[in-house]
Amino acid sequence: MGLLSDPEYGSVKWVRLLNRIHGPLCLLCYAGALVWFLMLGNKEFNNETYFSENALLPGLVTNEFNAEQSSRQFYNEFLQELEDKYYDTDEMPVPWLVAKMSQLHLEVYTHNFTLNYPLGQGQIYKGTNVYGILRAPRTSSLEALVVTAPYRSISSHQKGTAAGIALMLAFAQFARPQKYWAKDIIFLVTEHEQLGMQAWLEAYHGLQSDAETFYTSLGSFWKPDTPAFDFGRVGDVFNWGGGHQKCLDPGKLKGRSGSIQAAINLEFHAPKIKYIEVKVEGLNGQLPNLDLVNLVHKLCVKSGIHHSYKNSYSWMRTRNKMDEWTNGIWTMLGMVSAQIAGVPNGNHGLFHRFGIEAVTLEGRDANDPAGIPPKVNALTTANFYRLGVALESILRSLNNLLERFHQSYFFYLLAATNRFISIGQYMPSLCLLCVAILVRALSMWVNIQQDGDEEPEKSVKRKTSDACVPGEHESEERSEEKVKTIPKGRKIEESNMSIVNIGANYLLVHLLGYVVMNSPMVFSKIGATYYNQPSEVSVFYGLIVASVFLIFLTPLMPRLLRTGRMTHEELSLVNILLLIELATVCLSVGMHNFPLGLVIAVLYTPLALVVGVETTGGGKRRVITIFLKRVLCLLLHPLCIVTVGMVTYSRVLFPEENLLSMAGRGRDAAMQAIMFSIVDSLIYGNWLYNVATAVILPIWIIFWQILCIRIDDTV
Amino acid sequence: MSIYRLFWIIFISAYSVVRSDDFKEEMYIKPLPPSHLYTYFQFITIVNHKSTEHSHLSPRSLGEVISRFKVDELHLTLTEGQWRHHQWGYPVLDAAPGAELYAWFATDVDDIDTQWRKLTSTLSGLFCASLNFIDNFNTVIPQMALWPTGAVKPIQNITSQLRYASLPREIVCTENLTPWKKLLPCESSRGFSALLNSRMIHNTKYHSIGVHVRKICANKDCTDTHLEIKQTVALVYDYKIINSMDWSFRKLFGQGLPGACTLSSASTIYVDVTTNSSHSFKLTPSPHRILQSQRGASETEFAVYDIHNNGEMINIGAKYDSKYSNNMTVIIPPPIYFNRYVLGYGKEFGGIVTELVNNYMTAIDVVLLENAPWWLPIQLSSLRVNGEANNKLVIAQYFSPGRNRQKPYHLELLIKLPPRSTTTVTIDFEFVFLKWQEYPPDANHGFYIGSALITANLPTAKQYSSLPISGSTFDSIINASKPWYPAVFRTNGAMVSLPTPDFSMPYNVICLACTVVALAFGPLHNICTKELILKPVGTPVSLTQKLMNLLKRKKD
Repeated sequence: MGLLSDPEYGSVKWVRLLNRIHGPLCLLCYAGALVWFLMLGNKEFNNETYFSENALLPGLVTNEFNAEQSSRQFYNEFLQELEDKYYDTDEMPVPWLVAKMSQLHLEVYTHNFTLNYPLGQGQIYKGTNVYGILRAPRTSSLEALVVTAPYRSISSHQKGTAAGIALMLAFAQFARPQKYWAKDIIFLVTEHEQLGMQAWLEAYHGLQSDAETFYTSLGSFWKPDTPAFDFGRVGDVFNWGGGHQKCLDPGKLKGRSGSIQAAINLEFHAPKIKYIEVKVEGLNGQLPNLDLVNLVHKLCVKSGIHHSYKNSYSWMRTRNKMDEWTNGIWTMLGMVSAQIAGVPNGNHGLFHRFGIEAVTLEGRDANDPAGIPPKVNALTTANFYRLGVALESILRSLNNLLERFHQSYFFYLLAATNRFISIGQYMPSLCLLCVAILVRALSMWVNIQQDGDEEPEKSVKRKTSDACVPGEHESEERSEEKVKTIPKGRKIEESNMSIVNIGANYLLVHLLGYVVMNSPMVFSKIGATYYNQPSEVSVFYGLIVASVFLIFLTPLMPRLLRTGRMTHEELSLVNILLLIELATVCLSVGMHNFPLGLVIAVLYTPLALVVGVETTGGGKRRVITIFLKRVLCLLLHPLCIVTVGMVTYSRVLFPEENLLSMAGRGRDAAMQAIMFSIVDSLIYGNWLYNVATAVILPIWIIFWQILCIRIDDTV
Repeated sequence: MSIYRLFWIIFISAYSVVRSDDFKEEMYIKPLPPSHLYTYFQFITIVNHKSTEHSHLSPRSLGEVISRFKVDELHLTLTEGQWRHHQWGYPVLDAAPGAELYAWFATDVDDIDTQWRKLTSTLSGLFCASLNFIDNFNTVIPQMALWPTGAVKPIQNITSQLRYASLPREIVCTENLTPWKKLLPCESSRGFSALLNSRMIHNTKYHSIGVHVRKICANKDCTDTHLEIKQTVALVYDYKIINSMDWSFRKLFGQGLPGACTLSSASTIYVDVTTNSSHSFKLTPSPHRILQSQRGASETEFAVYDIHNNGEMINIGAKYDSKYSNNMTVIIPPPIYFNRYVLGYGKEFGGIVTELVNNYMTAIDVVLLENAPWWLPIQLSSLRVNGEANNKLVIAQYFSPGRNRQKPYHLELLIKLPPRSTTTVTIDFEFVFLKWQEYPPDANHGFYIGSALITANLPTAKQYSSLPISGSTFDSIINASKPWYPAVFRTNGAMVSLPTPDFSMPYNVICLACTVVALAFGPLHNICTKELILKPVGTPVSLTQKLMNLLKRKKD
């Protein structure tokens, strides 16, 4: 700080050096970050996975699973039941499941939940979960393991899970007479995919819809009704928000076990599968403990089941280093793309936020919609016996746990089924991107200071006001002292620099972001009442209207609070603040959800590096550059990114279509994507939408403001 | 022969009158449909004399403990597993998972806390259990929940003489059973205790051993008291684990019953055959008599075996009708059942919920005792009954806040449970940081919260199998109708994981420090133990060197 407020420092060597090289340095950082990330896929730069938790003792038990016959029987009976009675309905065969579980002498309960659909005309969805608890002998139900399977009806467009449910029941039958269980096992069949899972977990942990008592004090839980409540008073005219009601009413559980240590989700559509895909990505990109992931992979090997993770297939071990590297990169990119949206890719993902480690085992055929891996037809098919043995090994290994998972890694990237990259190794790539942004900010700061030196009589005033940058408290204190000692301090009011103006603008922009975050409710209400449109359409167009409105309005905003024009210093200061905010956001988001932080940084760093305070005048060339910068900025509008991304994606999926229909398809996909992210944020607490609107959008708006305001330097 | 036997009986009874100790052993077997079997043993010794210097059938070690620490009444249970009231109904005597100990001291004991600590340490040695971990910080003085079951002088404040503690983390095993068996007059060689083969009973779903000492009236006016020492074992077998519904002594205990204990005045086996109507089974050998009991409105039927010591191996068993074996049973829950669980997730806040279900058609008053350790600070302000802070259901309330490392949090509520309703009692807690030495081994395993105590006066004897308060043997249960039936239940415990530091760091530090010490030790040891000696000069010098030396000297 001493350096920053030292009037002489403009002449310090490093400042001059920085001024000269900051452009190339930033570029170098940016390129270095990308190279670093790609290098992580290489075997030399990542590590072999290993077990940290000794208590797991994987694969030490002799497998006894003998319920192959009954799993086949359960499977056939279940399919028969579905075809007989549930052919044309989405309902779950609750009585059948309850009967089967009771026959196995489990403690069987059903659990009802309700979803008041937050957007639209107040639709209400109901669902039922069925679960049976196997009580471990000689324990007082303090710990539990969960085996779950989502129920999918025959008419569902997704792969069924009948074999998974059958396997689960057969395993329950096998496990019930065993006396070695030290933890209860909960066998759970959920309805409505993740909704049922979320409701069950919320009910299990006692989160209620009427946040009256204890639950309001649960500060850690994201309360979707709070913003609605805040603005509810303002927006009473629209009668929105629905008061205190949370949209997902988890209902109540009649039977419980102890604290859940781990969960395994089974998605097997048929008993004969080629290989198992182990899915790990959870809500908001949270991952299960690496020990559990290793455990599953290792025990799949031991049970003779082929397994895969993204682009890494257990039966494809190549000696070619280049192939291995590209596979590693593709696997990492697959993981990144799965984590960005923060949407769990299986029911396991919802467990993570409750501190429960969980993975999904998905059975895949040779012609799986997810893609056809190489040499898949040569694989031997797995059957109920092998799957049962694998499940038994996994659960018995988990049963050995003395402590809940706390060792190994919670933050990692996987480059293959048996290679991982720890947080210490991948973080530098994100840090480099942020360094590029911060170097840019520093060079700008130095420039302001130097300008000040050129006009010595103004420097004091400017410094005093400059120093009020939030986060630069030390210099603030220092300069305050200076103000006191220098009698000219009175002139501050007359200065061109208006902290109030900058601050108000900054605050207002962030407030706008917050308003946009809460706007979908209003849009969907308006769309439904006046235009009779489904909520995704009204929300999408509502957001577009809001964006256009913001694009035209916000450049005028800084002038609202002042009479004169903006000065160069003011705008530079705003720019510096913005860069610091962007870097902070990227790092803090990256700490929780690395891929999201990385992608934000990768997208916005170029913009941050090109945006600077523009002055009027200059030739045609200058006008063109500014225009190009503005186009780039517009392209990087969050809504624009989503739409462009979706159009490209649909282009990839359906390359034969013409441009117009491709755009239409992309628009529909974008609508859906936005709607999903809003609904996810309301129901599950996925914060992608909130980050995009409340943080990224304001940052973008300020970029836009900076690009649109041209300072008249001639004055 | 019969004259001889008669003489023998007279002799025995005369003998027992003289020595005035009486020992009885009883066993109670109750199928808990659909898939469990409850076996309950009780060994009752009644000590008629006052002196503990001499003991006949009663265990002297225990007698000394009782008299030395002036204990009026003592209950100790060591339990593994959880009694599932909802499915199994009520046990004869309920017990909390882990170890549980409570005792009333005589009125003339002044410093009860000291006596209590001494008592726990002594019992800890006697039963090889970690009862010595009971200290002030986990002891409470229940105000309403517990009442003496024995004969006590009516004094003003009986609860001040009471101390209660439970250790939910205690693991009960053979090492506790062996000293327990040694207290019996026949030990494990003869009588019912011969069945308590630790290999078999630790295969059960639930097992609990207990010692209950109390004073009982010697005569009708209760002018004199006797000491009753009751040792109990409760086992719940799972048909699924023993692999068939048909049970027999051989299957359950690994062997038959080798006759009664010679020293017992009565050895009786009661088999509850009430469920025979729905789940038909046949007992072999056939019972000696069938007893019908009408208690309140519920009827029970017992098949009774009187066991003698005639050297016969007895193998009582039941064979179920095969056509009923896959019969689905509708479980009729008992009048009151409960469930306890921890709310929330994360490491900041949490809550304990106790759900009490009154399944009966009248209101039932219960006392709920919540006993939270000091590291789980519960706040009375957050107490909610059915979500309301001031619920009318709460008739009386007692709260004693805890103090760090000194006193647990203790909450007692007298609640009127409305008929056919569920009452939810919620109380919040905050997580605290412990000092690093205070974490138990396997710190990430979690911390145990003990069971809550629920005391109720049940208006019905449905599924109630406890003995009446005045009775000490099972025959007192027959037609023992009362206006209400007292019962003390334990809910299940719970586990929370407190914020735990990464213990691998100290571990690494220890490893590193040890390595450094080991590396430093070698040279240090060498320096300290070995003498430094200058190299002797008289080494052979070559001829040329000698010459050179000579030359040098000459030069000098």
